[in-house]
Amino acid sequence: MPETPAPHRDREATPAAAPPIALLRIFAVFLQLGCTSFGGGMAGWLYREMVLKRRWIDDESFLAMLAVAQVTPGSNGVKMTALIGQRLRGAAGATAALAGLLGGPFAIVLAIAAVYAGIGRNPIVYRMLDGVAAAVVGLTLATGLHSLRHGARSPAAIAIAAATAVSVGLLGWPILPVVAVLAPLSIALAFVKIGRH
Amino acid sequence: MRGGSGDAILALVLVFMPLSLVSFGGGNAVLAAIAQQSVAVHHWTSARQFADLFALSRAAPGPGSMLAALIGWQAAGIAGAAAAAVAFHLPSAVIVYAAGRLWGRWRGAAWHAAIERGLAPVAGGLFLAGGVAVLRLSPGGWPQWAAALAATIVLLRWPRLHPVPLLLAAAGLFALLPG
Repeated sequence: MPETPAPHRDREATPAAAPPIALLRIFAVFLQLGCTSFGGGMAGWLYREMVLKRRWIDDESFLAMLAVAQVTPGSNGVKMTALIGQRLRGAAGATAALAGLLGGPFAIVLAIAAVYAGIGRNPIVYRMLDGVAAAVVGLTLATGLHSLRHGARSPAAIAIAAATAVSVGLLGWPILPVVAVLAPLSIALAFVKIGRH
Repeated sequence: MRGGSGDAILALVLVFMPLSLVSFGGGNAVLAAIAQQSVAVHHWTSARQFADLFALSRAAPGPGSMLAALIGWQAAGIAGAAAAAVAFHLPSAVIVYAAGRLWGRWRGAAWHAAIERGLAPVAGGLFLAGGVAVLRLSPGGWPQWAAALAATIVLLRWPRLHPVPLLLAAAGLFALLPG
């Protein structure tokens, strides 16, 4: 894995500068990702694979996609996959990425279900699932903190991220009203800041 | 109930397609509705089968929304699984694709940059909230919080570590916990 920092790419140059990634490669990478991403928290797995490991997507783009995904309905991993595939190769890229991501788990989940039908409930299996869930939460939290290092640099942005996390995560407030208040506030702050530079 | 009857497949599509369109916040947002439809309304599964399929969908790799495929399989075999999976994923994928295209068209404008930069902290905060919410709903108690915190620290320190060994270690540790 090369440790050199990702080359700086400005917004307009991004699509043209990077050579296109083959559709088969996109399909294969997402197929592998779908078959190895245990325990849910797909966005965390996608972040690790696309931003940290392969650098197909940068941090800011990832957070922007996450924002688009948050305000449209559907499974978050599926939405992020559609957006990443779109960014890489347009409609064909999105189709290849989704076919890869969903095809493998579809076959696996039905195979497991067929076997499981004969085994039934087992308390040790359920405790192990609790352990897997905890580790996946760790992956989710690490992804959020890691991406916020790039996406929330000012004290105001950090405060908004913290307010979002506490009100929705700890206090259990519904997502839509919280976003309806904090998102416009945060956008206004960003707009003022851009205007000053 | 196997056999892939056309009526069951049509019913699966009519249940999962609308749910795809209202699942704001992710597949878990409509979990209660999926449970009600498959147990009480359509009798595709018993309550116990539903709980088992839910656990399976979380233990298997890939998105947790594969629960839809499992319920479709229980209701109408392989064809039912495919119908439910497509009905649950396709509408939301098409919507987000259109939203993404619309969004990409304005790249470069100052207000576009302000919206992206402004939404980033909110998106990151929601991400953290999602992790905490899973812990609050989970039955595992304090060992789960401790394990999640430990995994967070390990992954922040070594971001490119493959998570599967970590998941296996957590599963092994929890298997040893007193029941």
